[in-house]
Amino acid sequence: MNIPEQIQRRDFIKQLGLASTAALATNGTQAWGNDLVIHPKAKADSCILIWMGGGMAAPDTFDPKRYLPFEKGLEVNKILSTFPAIDTNVDGIKISQGLENIAQVMDRGTLIRSAVQPDLGSILHSRHQYHWHTGYVPPITVAAPHLGAWMAKVLGPKNEVIPPFINIGQRLEGVGEKEELKAFTTAGFFGSEYGPMNLPYPEQAVQSVQPPKGMEPGRFSNRYKHFKKLLDQNPNRDQLSDFQKESMLRSMESAHRLLQSKEKNAFDLTLEPKDSYAKYGDTRFGRGCLLARRLVEEGSRFIEVTTEYVPFLHWDTHENGHTTAARMKKEIDQPIAQLIRDLETKGLLERTLVILASEFSRDMMIEGVPGSVAQDQSRARTDKLKEMKQYGLHRHFTGGTSIAMWGGGVKKGFVYGKTADERPLMAVENPLSIEDLHATIYTAMGIHPKTAYEVEKRPFYATKDGIGNAATDIFA
Amino acid sequence: MNIPTIVFSIFLFFPLLVSAKIDFVHQVMPILKKNCAECHTDGKKKGGLSMNTRAEFLAGGENGEMAIPGNIEESWFLELIESDDLDERMPPKGPGVSPEQFKILHQWVKEGLVWEDEISLGSSNWEPKLKPRVVNLPKALNNRTHPIDRILDHYHQDKKISSPSPTSDRIFARRVFLDLVGILPTPEELNEFLNDQSENNKQNLINNLLSRDIAYADHWLTFWNDLLRNDYTGTGFITNGRTQITTWLYSALRANKSYDQMTRELIDTEDEAAGFINGIKWRGSVNASQTRNMQFAQNVSQVFLGINMKCASCHDSFIDRWTLQESYDLAAIFADKPLELERCDIPTGKMATPRWMFPELGQVDPKANKDQRLKQLAKLMTHPENGRFTRTIVNRVWAQLMGRGIVHPVDAMHTKPWNEDLLDYLADRFAKDGYDLKKFLHFVMTSEAYGATSDRLKEEPGGSYIFKGPVPKRMTAEQLMDSIWQVTGTHPVKAEAKVDRSPTFGSNSTTHLKTLGKINAINAHWIWGSNAQTRKVKLRTSIDLESAPKVTSFLATCDNAFSLKVNGEYVSSSKEWTKPLYHEISKFFKAGKNLIEVDAEMFGGGAGFIAQFVFGKGDQKIILETNKNWEFLKNKQWIVATEVHPYGSGPWKRPLENAKQTMPELKQDGPPIRASLVKNDFLMRSLGRPHRDQVVTSRPAELTTLQAIDLANGEILSQYLAQGAKNLAIQMAGKQNFVSWLYEYALGRKPSAGEKDLLQTIANDSENPQQVEDLLWLVFMQPDFQIIR
Repeated sequence: MNIPEQIQRRDFIKQLGLASTAALATNGTQAWGNDLVIHPKAKADSCILIWMGGGMAAPDTFDPKRYLPFEKGLEVNKILSTFPAIDTNVDGIKISQGLENIAQVMDRGTLIRSAVQPDLGSILHSRHQYHWHTGYVPPITVAAPHLGAWMAKVLGPKNEVIPPFINIGQRLEGVGEKEELKAFTTAGFFGSEYGPMNLPYPEQAVQSVQPPKGMEPGRFSNRYKHFKKLLDQNPNRDQLSDFQKESMLRSMESAHRLLQSKEKNAFDLTLEPKDSYAKYGDTRFGRGCLLARRLVEEGSRFIEVTTEYVPFLHWDTHENGHTTAARMKKEIDQPIAQLIRDLETKGLLERTLVILASEFSRDMMIEGVPGSVAQDQSRARTDKLKEMKQYGLHRHFTGGTSIAMWGGGVKKGFVYGKTADERPLMAVENPLSIEDLHATIYTAMGIHPKTAYEVEKRPFYATKDGIGNAATDIFA
Repeated sequence: MNIPTIVFSIFLFFPLLVSAKIDFVHQVMPILKKNCAECHTDGKKKGGLSMNTRAEFLAGGENGEMAIPGNIEESWFLELIESDDLDERMPPKGPGVSPEQFKILHQWVKEGLVWEDEISLGSSNWEPKLKPRVVNLPKALNNRTHPIDRILDHYHQDKKISSPSPTSDRIFARRVFLDLVGILPTPEELNEFLNDQSENNKQNLINNLLSRDIAYADHWLTFWNDLLRNDYTGTGFITNGRTQITTWLYSALRANKSYDQMTRELIDTEDEAAGFINGIKWRGSVNASQTRNMQFAQNVSQVFLGINMKCASCHDSFIDRWTLQESYDLAAIFADKPLELERCDIPTGKMATPRWMFPELGQVDPKANKDQRLKQLAKLMTHPENGRFTRTIVNRVWAQLMGRGIVHPVDAMHTKPWNEDLLDYLADRFAKDGYDLKKFLHFVMTSEAYGATSDRLKEEPGGSYIFKGPVPKRMTAEQLMDSIWQVTGTHPVKAEAKVDRSPTFGSNSTTHLKTLGKINAINAHWIWGSNAQTRKVKLRTSIDLESAPKVTSFLATCDNAFSLKVNGEYVSSSKEWTKPLYHEISKFFKAGKNLIEVDAEMFGGGAGFIAQFVFGKGDQKIILETNKNWEFLKNKQWIVATEVHPYGSGPWKRPLENAKQTMPELKQDGPPIRASLVKNDFLMRSLGRPHRDQVVTSRPAELTTLQAIDLANGEILSQYLAQGAKNLAIQMAGKQNFVSWLYEYALGRKPSAGEKDLLQTIANDSENPQQVEDLLWLVFMQPDFQIIR
C-alpha cells in the first residue's frame, strides 16, 4: 500500500532552482495565493506527452466498437469502427487491431475513454489544440502558457542543464495553421525562460546543442572563453552591474553549460546502441520517442513528442480514414510500446507520467457532437460505401475521446470512463473535461490545479479559473 | 523532496477537501465587496473596522476582533451577518447576505480565512483624475530651465538626493539613435556629433534624427504594432478574421500624424485602420468575453486609457472599479445589435446601453447608429478635457525613452505615478503642442533628465522606484537585428509590410494605381519549349515602341509558375495558374526596343505560358501576345517557341478573363529593409518579438537561457554572421583598425587597450572570414551592445 502524504505548495516554491527564482522575482509574474493546500504526494517528476495531432479516432484505436469491414454498398451510418478489436494483456480491455504492441503494455497504465471537449462551433484543429495544451479556449486576453511551460515554471528544471520544456516533432514553419500552432507552443506571459526548446526533427536535435554548422567544437568553446576574457577587459565592467546585464551573463553561462555538457549527448541519437535504436522504428515519430526517452533519462521535465499536426495529413483524416489510420497505427505502435518498456526497464516509469492524447476523436457521421452547428468537413461524403476512400472516420467528434496514461503513479491495467456502444458514442460514464484532465495531470506532477500566477494584477490559474478537479480514481 | 508523512485518513479526504475549498477571489470577494466595502474600505472605517486587507480585517474594530481563522464561534462577523435584528445586522441596508453566500463565508472561516496578501478589497487609495491639470512649474535650480528638470530637480531635492549627472556624449549619441530611429550611429555620424562644438549639438542631433521620417517610422512601427496588435502573419488571418493596418499606420508615422487624429481614425474608422477595432474573429464560437464587441471594449480601454477591462468583461473587476456593466456598455458602442450582458458566460437578461465610462466629458447617444456612435466615442476619447487619454500616451512614450514609466506598469494607469506633477505637466503640454508625437519626443529628449547617466538598477525596484536617470533598456528583437544587419550589411531584401518608403512620399504620382479597363479580346497561344516535359523554360520577345507608353496592361498566367522581366528589370511573378496576373506596368517600358523575358516553370502535368500586353489605349493601342513570335532558349540557342494550344482550348479553358487588377510587387525603394518590416522569425521570436494576438505594451527585459542558446548556435544568427564576415572581410581588407571601427560602430566607444590586445590575438587577420565572424559574435554578445544605456 502506498503511504499517503501531504505537502504544501510553499515547498514547491522552495524547490525552484536559483535561476528560476531570480527570474520569478524580476519578470513580473508572481505566484498568487500560495496558500496551504493539501495534496497527495506526486509520483511523477517528469512528463512525456505523446501527441496524436489531427484528431485520433477512438473507435479505431483505443475504444473499439462494432466493426464492419469494407463492403461496397454498406450503409455508412451503420459503421462505428473500421477495425476489429484485439485482446490486450489485461482481461476485459480490448483495443483496436494494429496496436498489438501497445496491447502488451496496457497492464502498465490507465486508459481513459471519456475525455470530452467543448463544442466550439466550427472545428479548427489548432484551436482545440490550443485549448488542450493551455487549458484556455482562444482567443483570450493574455498569452496562455503551454502545459509544459507550467511544469517548467512551477517545478523548474529537473536537471539544471537540460531545458525543462522540450517539444519534439512539430514543425512551426512550412505547415498549415502554423501561426495558430505557434500561438500555444509558447510559455505565454511566463516569458521565454519557460518556453519550449523546439526540435522538429529528432535526428537533427543534436544540432541544437552543437556549435553552429561548420564551426569546430574547439573554435566554439574558445569563442566563449574569449567572450569571458573580453568581459574582464571591459573598461566599464564595474559600472555595468545592473540586473539586466547580470541576467544576460547568467543566461549565456547556462546556455554554454548545456552546449558543453555531457548531458547534451542525450540529444544525439547516433549514440544510441544500434539494436535499441532499431526498436523505435524508422520514422520521425519513432525517433522522437527515442529522443524523449533519452532526454527523460538525463532529467528533462516535460517533453512533448508528436506524430505532427499538418492539416489533412496523418490523423487528420477527412477521407481515406481507414487506410490512413492503419498506417498511423503502424507508425506509433512499436515505438510507444518500446518507450514504455524502456522506461520501465530503466526504472523511470514510476516517476514519468506518459500521456497519449489527441485534441478530439472522430466519427463516421457526427461532426462535433449531436446538435452541434459545426460544419461537416468530410471530403468523402456518401450514404453507401462506393470506394475505399469513403471508408473511415472522417468527421471530428468531441463527445468521447480516449487518452492513455502510463507510469507516474496511475493505476495499472485500469479503465476510466466509458462511451456509449451505439452512436452517438458519447462519454456516458465519468466524462472528463479538459479542466479535470489537466487537474489530473498537474496533480500527478505535484502542481495544485489552483496554482496561479499574477498577470496584469489578476490571478491566472493552471486550470481555467482554478476549477479543475483531479480524477483521483486513476491514481494508484 | 522532503515531505512530511501524515495519516491515511487525510489522503482519503483529499478529493473532497480540494473540491470544497473556497476560492477567495471568485467566491468570497464578490460577497464582501457588495456587503462590506462601502463602509469598511478605502479609508472608511465604520465601527473602527477596516477591511482593505486580511490583516486589517483580522485586527478588528472598536468592539475587538471580528474574525478568527478557523474559528466559527469566535468569528463575530458571521453572527452579525446572520442576525435577524436589523439594528445589529450587517450590512445595515439592503437584503443582506443570502443563505448560500453565508455558507460560503462560513466555510471560508473554517478553512482559515484564506485571503491573499496581494488582494485588496478596497480600490487603491489613489484614484486617477480624469481632467488634465495645469502644473505650476517650480523655479529652476542651478539654471536647469527645462520644465522636466525644474520638476525633477525639486523632486530630487525633496528626496535629498542629487540629480543625476549628464552621461557622456558617446553614450548619449547611441541612446538617441536607438531611441529615435532604432539603429546605431555609424562611426562617421558618431564622430560628427562628437566634433560638433556648438552649444546646441544635442538639439541638432535630435532634430536631425526626427527629420529622418523613414527611419523614424521604421523604428516606431514596432512600438505601435505591439500596441495596436497589428502584424503581417498570425492567428486569424487564416480565416479572414483579421485585417492589417500596416499601410495606414506607417503613413501616419511618416507624416507624423497627430495622436488625437490617429486615435479618431482608429476608432471611427478610417477603412485602412479598421483592423484595430475589429479585432480578431475566430472560427467557431468564443467565450462571451472574447467576442469582437468585447475585444473592442478591452482594446480601446487598454490602449488609449491604460484601463484594464479584461476582468470586467466577465464580472465586476475585483482589482479595480470597473464593472461588467461598464465594459458591456463600452462594447455596445461597437456592437451591431443590442448586447446582452453575460456574467462568466451566463446571460444575465440585462441589456447594455451604448455609453462610455466618463459621462463628465459627454456621452454617446445610445439611439445613434453604430457609425455615429463610434464618431462620438472618438470625439470623447480625444476630448481636450480627457486627461487620462494624454497621460496614458505620454507615460507610454516616457517608458520607451526612460526604460520605465512614471506610472508602472504602463497599462495600470490607476497606479499612483511616482511624480504626479511630472505626469500631469507632460500630458498637458502634449495636448497643448497639438498631440504632436515628434514634438513630444523632442521635448523629453532635450531635457537633462533624458541626457543623464543611466540608473544601474540592481534589481527590479517594484513600488519603491525613484527616478535617478534613464533605466538601461534591453534592445528589442528589432533593434538587435537592425543593428547587426547595419554593421554587417546583411539586411533582408524584401519587406513583408506593405508600406510606402519611397523618398517622394506624399506626392500623388508614385503610388497611384492607373485603372485598366475591360480585358481585351485574347488571341494568344499557350507557348512552351519544343518539349512539353521540360520543367523550366526561358522565353523572350521584344517590341519596338515609338514612344514610352502612357499605359500598359499585362495579363498572363502560366502552368505552373513564371516570373517576368522587362528590360532586365524584375516586374512580377506568380505561382498560381488559376489566378492570372493583371498589372499596369507602363513604367518599365521606354521608347525604342524593349526586351521582355519570362522564366517559366512546370511542376508536373501540363505546361504552358500565356500572356497579353496592351500598350496605349483606343486606336493607338498595340497588342503583343504569346505566339510563335516568341523564342525559347535551348542549348544556349534562341529557337522559335512552340504554340501548345490556342487560348480557350487545351486543358486550361479560359482563366484570363477572371483576372483582377493588382499592383505589381513594389520595388523596394528607400533605405535597407528593417526588422519591423519583415515577418517574425525564430530568432526574433526568441528575442521577444511577440505573437501579436494581444495588445503588447512591454517587451521582456532579460535574456533567457533558451534565447542565449539561440544566440550561441542558432542558424539564423550564424548565417548573418557568416555573411557579414564575408562582406566585412572584403570591405576591411588591409585596414589595420578593424577592431576600433567595429567597437565604435557597435558599442559607440573605442576598445580599451586590454580589449584591443585580446582581440588582436584572437583575430589577427581581418581578411579571414572565420576570425571576423568570431569577432562579430564576441562584440554583438557584449552586454554593452545589447543594452541601451
